Amino acid sequence: MRRSTTHATFVIERAYPHAPAKVFAAFADLQSKTKWFGGPEEWQKASEHTLDFRVGGKESLSGGPSDGPVHTYNATYWDIVENERIVSAYEMHLDKTRISVSLATMEFKPNGSGTTFVLTEQGVFLDGYDDTGERERGTRELLNQLEVYLDQ
Amino acid sequence: MTTITHATIVMERTYNAAPARVFHAWEDRKARERWQAPDETIQIRYEDADFRQGGRDVARCIEADGAEFLATVYYLEIRRDQRIVFTEAVAQRNANVSAALISVELSSVKTGTLQRVTMQIASFDESGMEKGYEHGWGMALDNLAKEFEQ
Repeated sequence: MRRSTTHATFVIERAYPHAPAKVFAAFADLQSKTKWFGGPEEWQKASEHTLDFRVGGKESLSGGPSDGPVHTYNATYWDIVENERIVSAYEMHLDKTRISVSLATMEFKPNGSGTTFVLTEQGVFLDGYDDTGERERGTRELLNQLEVYLDQ
Repeated sequence: MTTITHATIVMERTYNAAPARVFHAWEDRKARERWQAPDETIQIRYEDADFRQGGRDVARCIEADGAEFLATVYYLEIRRDQRIVFTEAVAQRNANVSAALISVELSSVKTGTLQRVTMQIASFDESGMEKGYEHGWGMALDNLAKEFEQ
């Protein structure tokens, strides 16, 4: 088969009216992260969300629509600075096909009593699967879910 | 406060060798120790080398003045003779100075192999690693041509 790659970078910045420690905890703690990090509500889980939040630790989650492919997320944490920075490399599979690998950096910056959160994703999309527009939309949706969780 | 500088660097080289031979130069740990060292003042020593999907490399990069960098690589995707995608973090004195995602694409051309290396880099805390990648990998990819001269 003809192999192809598309490299792309996107940046999403959000301002949250919550302290960096609170926003950071929503990524660091499995019980918290499970509440907002995942596909649409109607998706079915294919595996339990696991998170070993330390440098070298791994995270995984899979699920999908009942009539569609299983989306699998596998991440490895490269770097963690408490309340300030998280860096992970992650790959996405649709069923058995690896469709992308990405480097994700998350920065938590104090802004008054709140947090400026900056997510930068540098990705490689493989063999024509997915596109950065779709990934960016999906990531924005996740951050909307995070906002709802933080505001509760 | 921590800072991150993001960069994307693309390097293309054409080598006078078939894709299988270029691929082998990435696969072979001894070959990598030769060509990945940018020049003779720098030594690369692999302490761990597991070139397969999901495998891990650990390499020590030792400069003439004694400065040491430790690179840890995870191979994410390997398609023989076609593509290698890996992620790596570089640490100095037990602190990470960068993380990167690197894809190597090989395609057959009349004169041999066109190799495109795309480096997506997150450089931490003003470490300047994005410039280090440009400089170091630029020299390494030139060295790689010498592997095919014998």
